[in-house]
Amino acid sequence: MGIKFPIFSLLLIMLCQLEARPISYSGGSTLMMISNEMQDSTYYHYSPTYKFSIGIQHVKDKYFNSDYSYLRLTYLINRKNTQHSQRNLYFQSGISSNGMDHYFYGTHGDWETRRLFLGFSYKNTKTKRQDYSEQYLQVGVAPYIGEYGDLHTWLMLKSKKNGLTGNWDTYPVLKLFKGNALIELGYSDSSQWDVHLMYRF
Amino acid sequence: MKNFYFLFVIIGSISVAAQDHAMHDMDAHDHEGHLHDTMVDGKLLEVDPERFDAFVLNLKDKQVAIISVSGMVCDFCARGIEKTFTRDKSVLKVDVDLSGGKVLIAYGKEKNIDFEEIKMKIMSNGQNATDLQIIKI
Repeated sequence: MGIKFPIFSLLLIMLCQLEARPISYSGGSTLMMISNEMQDSTYYHYSPTYKFSIGIQHVKDKYFNSDYSYLRLTYLINRKNTQHSQRNLYFQSGISSNGMDHYFYGTHGDWETRRLFLGFSYKNTKTKRQDYSEQYLQVGVAPYIGEYGDLHTWLMLKSKKNGLTGNWDTYPVLKLFKGNALIELGYSDSSQWDVHLMYRF
Repeated sequence: MKNFYFLFVIIGSISVAAQDHAMHDMDAHDHEGHLHDTMVDGKLLEVDPERFDAFVLNLKDKQVAIISVSGMVCDFCARGIEKTFTRDKSVLKVDVDLSGGKVLIAYGKEKNIDFEEIKMKIMSNGQNATDLQIIKI
């Protein structure tokens, strides 16, 4: 087993949430994995156009100790391109395999240049047991500007609140991406690891 | 919550300062090491000379479309554009200059390069093509 198992486990854990770029280019597919204190999930989506994506997310819900899947739709409400920046506003939604009374909806937005990133998300989830909201703000700075194909690095700060736990939690996040792959690693004393992995193809 | 807002203001201030630095970098980039003296259709051509030379190496009797693209801020955007044009059989070669916001595309000399078609392709990726210059080599 040696070192292979920990590396494999780490990669598996990293296959989790990633809200950044929730829609790909026309005809593009994206595989995401998310792991945090609330859930482990795997999310695949396909973008028929750059305006929306449809996908399936399987969730292992740690808080309610249950497994279910979401049929997800993300729609690009507004995008503003300038020479050095892009701003996006998305609508996100999902219907659970648990039934029509388990679903979520919300918004997600970001603004980024090659140096700076600002992002936010607000999601309201309705379930049979309890309704709750999740929200986060994220800011980031790229310490260097890489060329196309280079390893790109972002130093970020994320502040999130989950209605089930109640408190805001702020912690540093390291984001790395190269080629078609992206990894986000965040850690805080209270919520532990917040890991995202994305692969686009 | 107060701590959060305080942290947000601090980070925001750092970000604005960093952006000023980035914009300065971009301004400097616009005025150093580019082919300002080359005229195409009455417009100044701004392409990194080394990049352009490397791109046209081994190309003869071809056309190069230099497309200015807005909103191309990350590798994922650039990769999508590259994939989109690579699928076009009339395209011989593609290069993305992420720093300069340019996409270089080589076509055969017989190709009628249509800016509207290029705009549609860039738009299908979620970015905007804002300018086109064609160089015959």
